[in-house]
Amino acid sequence: MTFDWGIFADALTSGAYARGAMVAISVAALAQATAMVVGLLIALLGRSPILPLRVFAWGWVWLFRAVPTLLQLLFVWNALPQLIPSLRENWFTPFLAAWLTLSINESAYMAEIIRSGLNAVDTGQTLAGKTLGLRSGQIFRIVILPQMIRVIIPATGNEFITLLKLTALASVISLRELLTVTSQQVAVNFRFAELYGAATVWYLAIVSIFIVLQARIERHYQWSSEGRHALSGALNR
Amino acid sequence: MREQRSPHTPIVKTTEVRKCYGELDVLRGVSLSVNQGQVKVIVGPSGSGKSTFLRCLALLEPIDAGHITLDGDEVTWLASGSRRRGPGERALAIHRSEVCMVFQHFNLFPHMSALENVMVGPVHVRGTPKSQARQEAMTLLERVQLSNRANHYPHELSGGQQQRAAIARALAMRPKVMLFDEPTSALDAELVREVIDVMEELVREGMTMVVVSHELRFAQEAADTIVMMANGQIIEEAPPGQFFTSPQHERTQQFLRVVK
Repeated sequence: MTFDWGIFADALTSGAYARGAMVAISVAALAQATAMVVGLLIALLGRSPILPLRVFAWGWVWLFRAVPTLLQLLFVWNALPQLIPSLRENWFTPFLAAWLTLSINESAYMAEIIRSGLNAVDTGQTLAGKTLGLRSGQIFRIVILPQMIRVIIPATGNEFITLLKLTALASVISLRELLTVTSQQVAVNFRFAELYGAATVWYLAIVSIFIVLQARIERHYQWSSEGRHALSGALNR
Repeated sequence: MREQRSPHTPIVKTTEVRKCYGELDVLRGVSLSVNQGQVKVIVGPSGSGKSTFLRCLALLEPIDAGHITLDGDEVTWLASGSRRRGPGERALAIHRSEVCMVFQHFNLFPHMSALENVMVGPVHVRGTPKSQARQEAMTLLERVQLSNRANHYPHELSGGQQQRAAIARALAMRPKVMLFDEPTSALDAELVREVIDVMEELVREGMTMVVVSHELRFAQEAADTIVMMANGQIIEEAPPGQFFTSPQHERTQQFLRVVK
């Protein structure tokens, strides 16, 4: 049996694969966005002067980094409904479960990345903001945040790519993402090479687009006078 | 808490300001009064508390005891043990904008152009409309000879240019007094002059200034009073002529022998 290009092309261009890819991208993007917000919160709690908040932040990172992502997914999908009856309803879909799990899981990593990003911003920046009369919220938003973002872009890009691939784990909770779609088709015709190949091309395409996107974001944060359209400070916000 | 204003009301006045970091007494009762248009240059050996005093004056750090008034208003910000007294955050922020500080390492915002650095205070603190703030910022950049660098980012500027932009940024707040914390110490020798020139221009325009500096030439030419600090206290205060020719305190004589 040789590689059947026809089957490969059909799979590659099929609606099922496209939908699977969309599901994977959606879960990854939503989880990444949620994780950045939660991670920022955890990172800020981690620098709080109040000890219990610091302990909470530390515990969060400790727990969700230590437990395997697959176990976390299975726990949320199978064990949580056992503990919380309202999760047994139809609205608790695999999509929701995957989003929730990957968000929490990823937030632990993002918290660490954001923590290092915040540490990278010189303390003189806060002093300069203060002496101008900016209040602490303004200093964070206008002065610290843009500088922190620039520092964390490469590591965050890595995380997103990892996350995209972690969505494949959600095939175990029957989320219809790319790998689930592939496995279902393989079960029908056993064309492993063609169907796995098609999935590979989809993942490569998604990651390639994202790499281009990341490069654009990085350019945006270069703060050079030749490229003046780039985020003209926080002033236009 | 507004006292009666008179021509003699100092712009800033500190009374017996004390500050300690843990066991270390950094300021041990510092009293200084600066009138409208006066320029005071603080000198002294490192570790004498000059920079700490300036940071307290800029309301960047709370003090442990004493009083600070700004143009007659009590602005003392105490952090004594459990009870934290003084202006609320909003009031504190406004007071800070009236005693703007220029830092040794410039501390420009790296993600904003020179122009945006100068605009950020007026826009976000004073609520100045952006078009007006931009115009005023351009005028200020012209004043510090940087109008042709308005759209450059800090990393594209030399140290001297950065410090001049930082001075423009502080000026944009129209502060009642400007504080300079060793503004030329981080600069290459050939860039010191351009910053000193801008500062001397401010002196001529009547700006009230407190300057911590090792630039004795600036002190000699521009200061009304030179203030000598040692071990967290002011030990001598005199006009430049007297300070350099006949210092009273033995510690001052010793200091001048070393730096000259």
